[in-house]
Amino acid sequence: MDELRRFARELLLKKEVAAVIGYEQVGEARTRPVVITDPDECRRLVLNEYCLNNLVVYLNRARIKALARSKEGIRKLAVVAKPCDIRSIVALIQENQIRRENLMILSMNCHGVVRDFGCEFNGDNLAAKCISCNTQSSTYADKSFGEVREIPKFTGKLEYDLSEIEQLPPSKRMEFFREQFDKCIKCYACRAVCPLCYCQRCITDKTIPRWIESSSHSRGNFAWNIVRALHLSGRCTGCGECERACPMDIPLSLLNRKMAMKSKELFGYESGKSTDNPTLVGSYDQKDSDELFM
Amino acid sequence: MKIGVFICHCGENISRTVDCPRVAETCEKIPGVEFSIDYKYMCSDPGQKLIKDAVEIHKLDAIVVGSCSPNMHERTFRSAAVAAGINPFLVEIANLREHCSWVHEDVESATQKAIELVRMAVEKVKRDKPLSKIKVPVTKRVLVIGGGIAGIQAALDVANAGYDVVLVEKEPSIGGHMSQLSETFPTLDCSQCILTPRMVEVNQHPRIKLLTYSEVEKIEGFIGNFKATIRKKARHINEDICSGCGQCVSKCPIKKKAFSSFEEGLAYRPAVYIPFPQAVPNIPVIDESVCTYYRNGKCGMCVKACDRQAIDFDQKDTMMVADVGAVIVATGYKLYSIGKQPLGSKYKGYGEYGYGKYKDVIDGLQFERIASASGPTSGEIKRPSDGKEPKKIVFIQCVGSRDPAKGISYCSKICCMYTAKQAMLFRHKVHDGEAYVFYMDIRAGGKMYEEFVRRAIEEDHVNYIRGRVSRIYEENGKYIVKGEDTIAGVPVNIDADMVVLASAMIPHDNAPGLAQKVGIPYDKYGFYNESHPKLKPVESTTAGVFLAGACNAPRDIPESVAMASAAASKAIILFSSDSLEREPVVARVNEDLCAGCFYCRKVCPFGAVEVRDIKDMNGVVYKEVAYINQGVCQGCGTCTATCLSKSIELAGFNNEEIFAEIAAL
Repeated sequence: MDELRRFARELLLKKEVAAVIGYEQVGEARTRPVVITDPDECRRLVLNEYCLNNLVVYLNRARIKALARSKEGIRKLAVVAKPCDIRSIVALIQENQIRRENLMILSMNCHGVVRDFGCEFNGDNLAAKCISCNTQSSTYADKSFGEVREIPKFTGKLEYDLSEIEQLPPSKRMEFFREQFDKCIKCYACRAVCPLCYCQRCITDKTIPRWIESSSHSRGNFAWNIVRALHLSGRCTGCGECERACPMDIPLSLLNRKMAMKSKELFGYESGKSTDNPTLVGSYDQKDSDELFM
Repeated sequence: MKIGVFICHCGENISRTVDCPRVAETCEKIPGVEFSIDYKYMCSDPGQKLIKDAVEIHKLDAIVVGSCSPNMHERTFRSAAVAAGINPFLVEIANLREHCSWVHEDVESATQKAIELVRMAVEKVKRDKPLSKIKVPVTKRVLVIGGGIAGIQAALDVANAGYDVVLVEKEPSIGGHMSQLSETFPTLDCSQCILTPRMVEVNQHPRIKLLTYSEVEKIEGFIGNFKATIRKKARHINEDICSGCGQCVSKCPIKKKAFSSFEEGLAYRPAVYIPFPQAVPNIPVIDESVCTYYRNGKCGMCVKACDRQAIDFDQKDTMMVADVGAVIVATGYKLYSIGKQPLGSKYKGYGEYGYGKYKDVIDGLQFERIASASGPTSGEIKRPSDGKEPKKIVFIQCVGSRDPAKGISYCSKICCMYTAKQAMLFRHKVHDGEAYVFYMDIRAGGKMYEEFVRRAIEEDHVNYIRGRVSRIYEENGKYIVKGEDTIAGVPVNIDADMVVLASAMIPHDNAPGLAQKVGIPYDKYGFYNESHPKLKPVESTTAGVFLAGACNAPRDIPESVAMASAAASKAIILFSSDSLEREPVVARVNEDLCAGCFYCRKVCPFGAVEVRDIKDMNGVVYKEVAYINQGVCQGCGTCTATCLSKSIELAGFNNEEIFAEIAAL
């Protein structure tokens, strides 16, 4: 942690970066994102199991981008990112949203995070995405901090099991999702935290004509959640921020995970794995299955 | 806005299942519709006059025609609209034929559907905006791919019309299969004698840039403005210096390592070779795979033999780019491989005929080489195995062709004729020889063709046996051909000295690969598709790309030549004006909303999407957005569908128009 603070301070002092986006502690078991431009403020930075947010979402925010822009041109932005968050960076680079040369990626060697703020970090409270994680450190980052430790073995119980839901007959599955989506209040928190939902104007906000029903009753809720799943298929890197941000506890990542599984199964594609891979949407390989043509 | 609705009966095509007067009557009540009428043939002159008069009398602003597919008569009705003073893009077609009457039986429900279709078109036309045509410049140069007789003819025709031609041939010489043939049916004139003057003309023509031993790597762009990247393969001979004296060829010590593909494997060629004496250009090629220099860096006999220092072992492939306005594809064919089924091939092969196993079981092209005066036997009919003169030859037709069990359903078209010719040549050269032909039917449709076959049978006494051959095997130095005479109903065994198999014409192995580079569709065999089987036989479905010869389907020489001239004239028509008028149905990006993900750029098949920088007041780029080149865009709508934030609109099919159509349902 001290090493990170020192390193970040140096970056700002030497004006190598315009700002450092990281985490600061707020209370016992909670952190929040912080954007630091003053070198002395770097002492606020922390790295621990409570660094839940995917800070990559900020890299594409107009106001953050403006920080890096001056008359002289573009300066770098430093971002603290868990190895799984770095996949979002890769996906954003593939989609021309950010440039690697404008970034300083400060990665943490990760041994898992808690499922929510306030929880004690142990096997019971491990975040779902950490259960089968196999990228505890990143080779894509500019520098990594902290030691590599083992992720605790998951001892809790998942609220929703994707494989169980897949087994349900279509009508039951429909019922399940209808029940879940009925809770949606259209706050679009899921959209706000998603690093890949970066459109200037979301299609749901398009009013002339209004393609997507936007009321928060069943029809509109379905429309929104299905559009979200489809727009993220082959793109979602599985950071799980949507689900964590949802105030109504809708298991949003179920559909995203299903789409990711399908992308891998049908095309061997995993989003955010490498900038060398062409994106799934917009690339064609002669070996692609003909069965998918309609 | 005042809208006129015109419902066409299409004779009985529509009115048989759609109550046209009722459609017209009902549609008159749609808000915005000022006038509605039905008529027997809206596309006819009186029909069009009806539209024009109605526009004038009722002061119409837009037109909806309920008729056949817009593919057929959209142009007709748009022209009628223009004549009446209406913008052609304020005309909508409701497809009441293909989308309704032809696919339904019940009059009541078909009529209801027709009304709905017209209602949709009315809602769309209300939101349509007048559009005007886009003009794009034309590069008046043609790329011809393939230097066989079709490519040669096309190149000469275009060049003689006064336009530049780039002719690309993958082999070291132009001439194609025709240069390999002995005599040609039905006149028995020498193939090379009629071909080589054309080859020389190509080489000498000031407007033709000949690129042999070259292949097309990729083609970008669109009609009038293609950009072709061509790989010029390393010949290892400096073409500018080489005089074609052939000293290197005669001094090359590698004599028996590589078969000559020009001689169809019946003769060897050195490592440095000119494919045949009349090759154009008359410049050798070094075959790296057998040349000693490339194996161990030694030898260099050719270097010593060349008094012009034209040998260049270090020569590399070079890339060049040609801007062209049209492309003529004339890549020709190859012969079906008759032997065992090659690995990964969809064709089964004819293991039972022993091709590849028995040296004297050969294919049609090999017989051409044997019969050719320039061939390995100097035109004397000799067996490849022992060089003896065969006294009895069996010709088998339809090997591969018309045999779905082996993978090909089509007729190769030329085999009946060339088999008759080959049997005839054999009889002319070996007076005491016997020729047998196994055939399924004789297909001699063509000028002087039937007479030619009759001549083979009646004057040259070729024995025609109707039936198939089941097996060929060797016994006491003879090839026993076991067949059946289906007319006499008896089995036939012939002890032949040689067997010639008329194998099917198939596209080259890389035909689909080239099609993908050029952007043209092909059929299940790999033959390139014409745009319309009757009315557009030399156009591909890609505008500005034309087809000539056997790359499209089996063709004989006169057909290939005719196609080539037709393709050339299509290109010349294209060049008759300085700019092309294009439909204004193109995509436009809303730069404020574009997130710059460039998925549109990845999916655009025409390379129309460019990157545009949006700068802040200091001139620093803060955003990149997509920009669609209006001249390149073909209006396919792929980008529009892909755009996640719906920031792209396709003119003539914008979001509001489409939404209104759907909402009207």
